[in-house]
Amino acid sequence: MAIDAEKIEQPKSPEKVRDVPADWKANIIAFACHYCAFAAADLAGVMRLSYPSNVKVVRLPCTGKLDQIYLLRAFERGVDGVFAAG
Amino acid sequence: MTMITPKQENASRIGSVLVVGSGIGGMQAALDLANSGLMVHMVNDEPSIGGTMSRLDKTFPTGDCAMCMISPRMVESSRHPNIEMHTLAKVVGVSGHEGNFTATIEQKARYVDPERCTGCGACEPKCPSKVFNVFNQGLDKRKAIYALFPQAVPNTRAIDPAHCLYLTKNVCRKCEKACEANAINFEDQDKMIDIDVGSIILTPGLKTYQPEIRQEFGYGKLQNVVTALQFERLLSASGPCGGTVARPSDGAHPKKLAWIQCVGSRNAHNGNPWCSSVCCMYAAKQSIIANEHDNEVQSTIYYMELRAFGKDFDKYIEKAKNDAGVIYKRAMIAEIVEDPATRNLLVHSIGDDGRLVKEEFDMVILSIGFEPREDAAEFAKIFGIATDEYGFAQTSKLRPVETSRKGVYVAGTYQGPKDIPETVIQGSGAAAEAMALLGERRGTEVKEVVLPDERDIEDEEPRIGVIVCHCGTNIAGTVDVNKVAEMAAKEPGVTHSETIIYACAPDGQQKIRDLIKEKGLNRVVVASCTPRTHAPLFQDTIREVGLNKFLFELADIREQCSWCHMHENANATHKAIEIVNMNIAKTKRLVPVTCASVGVNHTALVVGGGIAGMTASLSLVDQGYGVHLVEKTNTLGGLLKNVRTNLEGDDVQAFLADVVQKVEKNPAIKVHLGSTVEKVDGYVGNFVTTLANKDTVGHGALLIASGGEEYSPVEYDYAKSDKIITQRELENLLADKGPENGKCYVMIQCVGSREDPNNYCSRICCQDALKNSIAIKEKAPDAQVVVIYRDMRAYGLKEDYYRRARDLGVLFFLYTPDAKPQVEVAEDTIKVTLEGKILGRELAINADYLVLSTGLRPQPDGDEFAKKFKLTCNIDGFLLEAHVKLRPVDFPSEGFFLAGLAHAPKNLEETISQSLAAAGRAGALLSHSSLTVSGVISKHNRDICMSCLACVKKCPFGAPFIDEDGRVSHNEVKCTGCGICAGVCPAKAYQVNYFRDDQILAMIDSVTEVHEY
Repeated sequence: MAIDAEKIEQPKSPEKVRDVPADWKANIIAFACHYCAFAAADLAGVMRLSYPSNVKVVRLPCTGKLDQIYLLRAFERGVDGVFAAG
Repeated sequence: MTMITPKQENASRIGSVLVVGSGIGGMQAALDLANSGLMVHMVNDEPSIGGTMSRLDKTFPTGDCAMCMISPRMVESSRHPNIEMHTLAKVVGVSGHEGNFTATIEQKARYVDPERCTGCGACEPKCPSKVFNVFNQGLDKRKAIYALFPQAVPNTRAIDPAHCLYLTKNVCRKCEKACEANAINFEDQDKMIDIDVGSIILTPGLKTYQPEIRQEFGYGKLQNVVTALQFERLLSASGPCGGTVARPSDGAHPKKLAWIQCVGSRNAHNGNPWCSSVCCMYAAKQSIIANEHDNEVQSTIYYMELRAFGKDFDKYIEKAKNDAGVIYKRAMIAEIVEDPATRNLLVHSIGDDGRLVKEEFDMVILSIGFEPREDAAEFAKIFGIATDEYGFAQTSKLRPVETSRKGVYVAGTYQGPKDIPETVIQGSGAAAEAMALLGERRGTEVKEVVLPDERDIEDEEPRIGVIVCHCGTNIAGTVDVNKVAEMAAKEPGVTHSETIIYACAPDGQQKIRDLIKEKGLNRVVVASCTPRTHAPLFQDTIREVGLNKFLFELADIREQCSWCHMHENANATHKAIEIVNMNIAKTKRLVPVTCASVGVNHTALVVGGGIAGMTASLSLVDQGYGVHLVEKTNTLGGLLKNVRTNLEGDDVQAFLADVVQKVEKNPAIKVHLGSTVEKVDGYVGNFVTTLANKDTVGHGALLIASGGEEYSPVEYDYAKSDKIITQRELENLLADKGPENGKCYVMIQCVGSREDPNNYCSRICCQDALKNSIAIKEKAPDAQVVVIYRDMRAYGLKEDYYRRARDLGVLFFLYTPDAKPQVEVAEDTIKVTLEGKILGRELAINADYLVLSTGLRPQPDGDEFAKKFKLTCNIDGFLLEAHVKLRPVDFPSEGFFLAGLAHAPKNLEETISQSLAAAGRAGALLSHSSLTVSGVISKHNRDICMSCLACVKKCPFGAPFIDEDGRVSHNEVKCTGCGICAGVCPAKAYQVNYFRDDQILAMIDSVTEVHEY
């Protein structure tokens, strides 16, 4: 069955899309597994690799511990992105 | 942890062991011994431990990062209270005898005080002397003051006296000025020390072949010809080009790569006669990784024979061919010629049609082999051990880790070429031998630490102390540490905040201890480097003054802040404040965590009465533990009952009879014949197993050596003629009747192996074919022996027998799986026809005997068996170990160990090594009177649990279970603290200690707070 794209209404957000200010930087929380991703973040430092400073790492014993409430809380508190690595 | 009480006889034996070499094999031996209550002195001549494996980028056949695997082992070795490391040291003399040796160690001056050096590295940029970097295989330069590699352990620099300007020319001393920790000591002297030990384990490792001698390859002259170890460094993210492969001549990214195999191996003229065992696999690995880095890379591997004989190795070769598009060409290389304009390389070889082929590549990698170290002869003399004709330590194939000197054991590549898991296996195996020798002296040489009682802080308000570390200039050079400390002081719960030059130095530790007492602190945050390496140190420090270890958090503002945001001081300071504050928010909510301990039943249950199970059982009783040995048939011996000799000519039946007798006579081994395991309950240290006859057995460890079986072929008309036999049947025929002159014996390799549905190498069949071929030709030189093969996998020192067979006139003809030999059974002969690859036409042989080299199969009831023990099998039906490289005899479930054919096909020598290793690993566990369970575990709240079973289904370790009352309970002994249960529990009935939801949420809230700094 062919879908007529024009007939499908795009969902509308109650908020208007705003222009991004020139000096804006995304605020990002990274949830990292102690054994791999956290170790990788350390190695990046040891090798003096650089990345934006507005990424903060929260250490977890394993990404299995990453609860959806953490993600929701982070967004609720206004972060722009969450990076889960493990 | 306390050890089981040692008996006081044999008191003259010393309960400590000298481990010479600290690569992965040495570390494995040292850790196993140290964990069993023996004191270990580990000696190596480099400034860091780590050995060859630390130089590798990735490992086959899983592609795991080598450094990520070895680094935790290095840290564990350096922090173990029962291991004393002696780096930059070598043994110069050994006197005494088994149980009581004295080793004289020459300790070279380091010129850097390891007690003071914090590893910050501020000295290195100031050093003007640039030196060829041996670790990076000469691809770049290091300084005269240096760490061997960024993750070096011990994490202290050393000065290379041959290149230091002050030590050679009396000028400079710049490092001294740069070092704020005052760690430089130019007065340092070489020292000689004597150490008394009961046993010695030799793991000195290897040297790689120097390919300059093969002038046709142009190594040393042609810039874009590199060794495989150099290529390993080029691939490595911590290597000289940061993991983006750049070719030496112009730094361009090479797109067309060629590997040349067997450089310096399998060549008695200008190389070594043996096969180095690992090059086929590392070439496949490197080509796969190169392709992963850049999918335009096109790789060609020129090889003689593809020796992918290990577990899952053939599948890895398939992956190289199919996924990475690697082209395999069976050819020897005549010459490499450089195009002077492009510096590209023309590789000359002979194609299948016999004509010269020239192919152009951007870079050529020489797959160099292993050889004993240059000082191997002197080394053997110092330790008083015999070597073989090549300089490898001599051992019997039936006692693979014993040297010619009693009490001195060997592991790893010094015993013959081998890969990482085999080295690890021998490391544990050698440790098992030393544990058997010194078992009664466990706990006599190690120091016991007495700690004060823990302070009760339950009713106290949080009083957090925050220590912000300068780390010399490592942190303070980028981050405004005073501002960080100032901001921390404003956070709720913080009682005291200050900065310190080096928190981890001894004076820094003392400062922390003093502050806890003076200010009445009940929680501590240190803002410095990574918790992965340094948290245990600070946790011990606060524990020494009575604070629970879990009232501590480390805020990583070095690796994850100052080092990666250099030259962005304001942003880095802002981020450091956020990192410290979120850790303060967590720390405020920290509570003491007690680590439970459980008793240990000092008995092992061994499943399988073949040579693997029996070897392990004997080792375990020698170490001082009880054994229940369960065998499903009515006799001991397993598959070895069918084997007369091994390739090296040992009398296997006499050996087996001796082992069986020892097992049967040993009162500490209870043999359960005709019995199987019905179910296993309990947990590490305290299993209760029910046997088929309903007997129950209590044990602390479980060792699975359930073996495999020999394949009975359906191929090549096996059933149609009694002249078509297997290698095993030929072995019996030769032993009973002897070979006959004038007869023709034709062997076909890989019958039922290396093809779907059994697409793996059975490993032993090439050795069997060589063994029987040599036996025929030695006794009946006029008999004709023809071996029709795909790849003769005569790996390691077995290459000698391949050469001997050829010298004796055995003919080897190649076949490929798409053109298998055809067999026709006639009246009195068997006609075998095949495509003659060299002749280019069909070959026909009239055979008197057709011998099928049939392989090994897993136990037919493998899946059902595995389920009983909650274990998993690989796709071929062999049991899956905890980690292919570093935990080859462990299962993921604690207290379960593995040896023999149940793991993968292997020969007798390898089975014995692995059985000793499994016994050593199990023994180290059983040596404890109690086991401490990690504090970071999930806590289950039964009051709010609805027993929905989400956790029971998801836990990979089987910790949650349905209890007798029908509701879920949680076995904390099995828990590893991964927190999957907490994630899936809809009722939030699980909280992981030290990572509780309120603690993590507090971190999120803190870091999302809007601040003006």
